[in-house]
Amino acid sequence: MDCHEVEGLLSPYLDGELEPAVSTTVRAHLDTCSACRQRLANLESVGRMVRRAPYYQAPDRLRARLTQSRTRSTTRSQLLAWAAVVVMVASLSGSILFVRSSTRAARTVDPVDVVAQEVVNSHVRAMMGEHLFDVRSTDQHTVKPWFLGKLDFSPPVTDLAQAGFPLTGGRLDYMAGRPVAALVYTRGQHTINVFVWPEASDAVRSPDARAIRGFHVRHWTHAGMSYWAVSDVNDTDLDQFVHALQQ
Amino acid sequence: MPRSFEEVVLPHLDAAFNYARWLTKNDGDAEDVVQNASERALRFFSSLRGEDARAWLLTIVRNTWYGRFPRRAGGAVTAVAEEDAANQADVSLDPEAQAIQQQTVEQVRGAFETLPTDFREVLVLRELEGFSYKEIAAIVGIPIGTVMSRLARARERLAGVLTTSDTSGGHRGLP
Repeated sequence: MDCHEVEGLLSPYLDGELEPAVSTTVRAHLDTCSACRQRLANLESVGRMVRRAPYYQAPDRLRARLTQSRTRSTTRSQLLAWAAVVVMVASLSGSILFVRSSTRAARTVDPVDVVAQEVVNSHVRAMMGEHLFDVRSTDQHTVKPWFLGKLDFSPPVTDLAQAGFPLTGGRLDYMAGRPVAALVYTRGQHTINVFVWPEASDAVRSPDARAIRGFHVRHWTHAGMSYWAVSDVNDTDLDQFVHALQQ
Repeated sequence: MPRSFEEVVLPHLDAAFNYARWLTKNDGDAEDVVQNASERALRFFSSLRGEDARAWLLTIVRNTWYGRFPRRAGGAVTAVAEEDAANQADVSLDPEAQAIQQQTVEQVRGAFETLPTDFREVLVLRELEGFSYKEIAAIVGIPIGTVMSRLARARERLAGVLTTSDTSGGHRGLP
């Protein structure tokens, strides 16, 4: 691959959107070509600038209006739903209903899925302005001691500003039936919540990825601690974050 | 677990507004678009099957905007008072650093607004929302290859605008 071809691929390369084989070829070229390395650095710097563009937040009055109109239309759609049920019951035979309800009962719930839901719910609540910080600091030496005496364990706290994910604070949260540490990091305009608590089993899990309601979630265990990271940053950034946190 | 509109869609209201605001470049229009889009989202809520409610909502926002505001060529003309656009100054910075940050934010905002809407929206979706090319393709309704080339060109254009405004003393967009 020559410089001209590589130049055209730098933007998707930076976004982690190239096929692995192509990405490897680009990386090999970058290792040997300082001009292309410079182009990549310029592109990265444009990216940093772009992420400083204002992030416009929805006005409160809009949120309030939507919640109100929601209450009104619930009544309407509930009526419709009931009408539909009446029609269904009238037209379906009893045996079909039995089959449907027995398959539903057979479905089992994985406790990890339940925690994943709790993690996302907590992230959403915090993001909706309910309570994101108990301690607000970018200094890991302020955040870590803050948890002293408030939890029966000492959560590992590392600032990841060097890796592009500055620590902004922490709070106490309650999850999986116990008090846990919530650490708050940022990536550009986005917030990453990390929940940490001691893991009961010795099992080591490597990061497991899932997406719930538009949020990306990673879960892993390390050195006797259970970690959950949740955010609306993209998958690549979140993986990079998890990687940095595991160092 | 039954999922409600509040639980699934409202958490992404900021993303919806931010996207609409960058599309319309105007607070009032953005509010109208999001209000309208949310009402549609509520109506179609039962059709939401996949996981990504944010991408789904933004697709509706885009369609609403597209329907209400027929495309203006280039989309470079709109002068609106932007008093609170960049009011999220980082309090941990000293005043000088804050001023520099503020200036950069203003510069980037100004540079963004000079870009054609096509370019601006893919940058917003990628850089501010962190969507993958596949998701952007679905929201904007274009092939993934087009997302790739459009983003590359948008970055090139933006780099050009930003460096020009730097050498001219960085006065762009300052009050």
